Amino acid sequence: MSKILYIVDDNKNSDYKYEIEEDTIIYHYSINSSSNVEINMNKEDITLYYYYNNINYDDNELRISVNHNKNNTHSELYNHGVNVKNKILTYYVNGIVPKSSSKCICNQENQIINMNNGKSTICPNLLIDNYDVDSNHGAYIGKFSEEKLFYLMSRGINREDSYKLLLNSYLINSDSIDLNKIERFIKEIDKI
Amino acid sequence: MLEIKNLNCSIADSDLNILNGLSLKIKEGETHVIMGPNGTGKSTLAKAIMGHYKYNVTKGDILIDKESILGLTVDERAKKGLFLCMQDPTVIEGVSNSEFLRTALASQTGEKVNLYSFITDMEKAMKEVKLDSKMLHRSLNMGFSGGEKKKNEVLQLKVLKPKYIILDEIDSGLDVDSLRIVCENINDYMKENKEASLLIITHYPRILEYLKPDYVHILKDGKIQKSGDISLALEVEKEGYTNIEDTVDE
Repeated sequence: MSKILYIVDDNKNSDYKYEIEEDTIIYHYSINSSSNVEINMNKEDITLYYYYNNINYDDNELRISVNHNKNNTHSELYNHGVNVKNKILTYYVNGIVPKSSSKCICNQENQIINMNNGKSTICPNLLIDNYDVDSNHGAYIGKFSEEKLFYLMSRGINREDSYKLLLNSYLINSDSIDLNKIERFIKEIDKI
Repeated sequence: MLEIKNLNCSIADSDLNILNGLSLKIKEGETHVIMGPNGTGKSTLAKAIMGHYKYNVTKGDILIDKESILGLTVDERAKKGLFLCMQDPTVIEGVSNSEFLRTALASQTGEKVNLYSFITDMEKAMKEVKLDSKMLHRSLNMGFSGGEKKKNEVLQLKVLKPKYIILDEIDSGLDVDSLRIVCENINDYMKENKEASLLIITHYPRILEYLKPDYVHILKDGKIQKSGDISLALEVEKEGYTNIEDTVDE
């Protein structure tokens, strides 16, 4: 059983530091906020899932670093953002595996959807100092796929409602989330 | 009636015309088939009718009940009764089949969908197309086999009850049993909805053993080259497309 943590940021700048020693899932929901997150994986054989979901209106950034301080630690980061206005949104995402940590898995997937003509940047950094690490990253910045919108609209759903379906699936991307804990964030999705 | 008048269509951002003066009238209750070699514009026709963003109609018109639909958005065309069963339905992770269909149904009817009756109707329809009811709660087309995707398209058709149905290679990638199930469901739908009409796009006459066409058209070089009845499809199966002569009245 994993430890589950929820973070909901609403128009604030925050620093978070976690020292984790057990399997952990962190759901981080951010409304127009900047965050600086440091996570230290301090025990062997533990797994971290980090889901960052962000609605952005002004200039903001996410800085996240995951330090694999022990052998056989496994991190999976999913960072999803929506840059609503013509503002700047930047993700710096660091996965760090020192030479002293062996057989780690360090993965990250980052996406930012630009709803207008904002400037979005993703800097995915995998700082790996060991030869036996399994590490991958993916980064996408762009619009929602026109093909998906076409499919939804071809069944009679208008463009606005199609966007809403896609936004909900994109920003609330796990079945195991306690929706009561992110009520504020869900309401914000409806405003986009 | 769905009427296609002298349709010329190109790929967006390109001068290359795929359809070159295609005309076709599909009246209520009729089943038409379009066959043709690869790359002649069969799927382009289907997508152009539905208003796909990659295709531009450069000349001609598409009309439903004598009204042009060229100025309508994709969802407005769907609300006019058009339904495109896609060759390769799009996967949408995170949007459940159930959520999608409820939203589509509410959009089409303009009414809020009662959850209980929706679930009951869906379970019945899913049983008929032989889809596991658990698939209702899975992401749209995600992890579905080729057969499951096609059955899911037919499920949507049964729920949304369109009037003008375009089947774009619904038979591709289907095994014999799945093809039979898909076609039986379409036949049942057509019996229950006498005003509905079908436009079948296919490469193989096998599907026509189940879905009996009124007209068969051969599409070549972006326009209809020859029209006939089912014997034309059988002729193509035997002889290929090379000997098909242009016999369509302009």
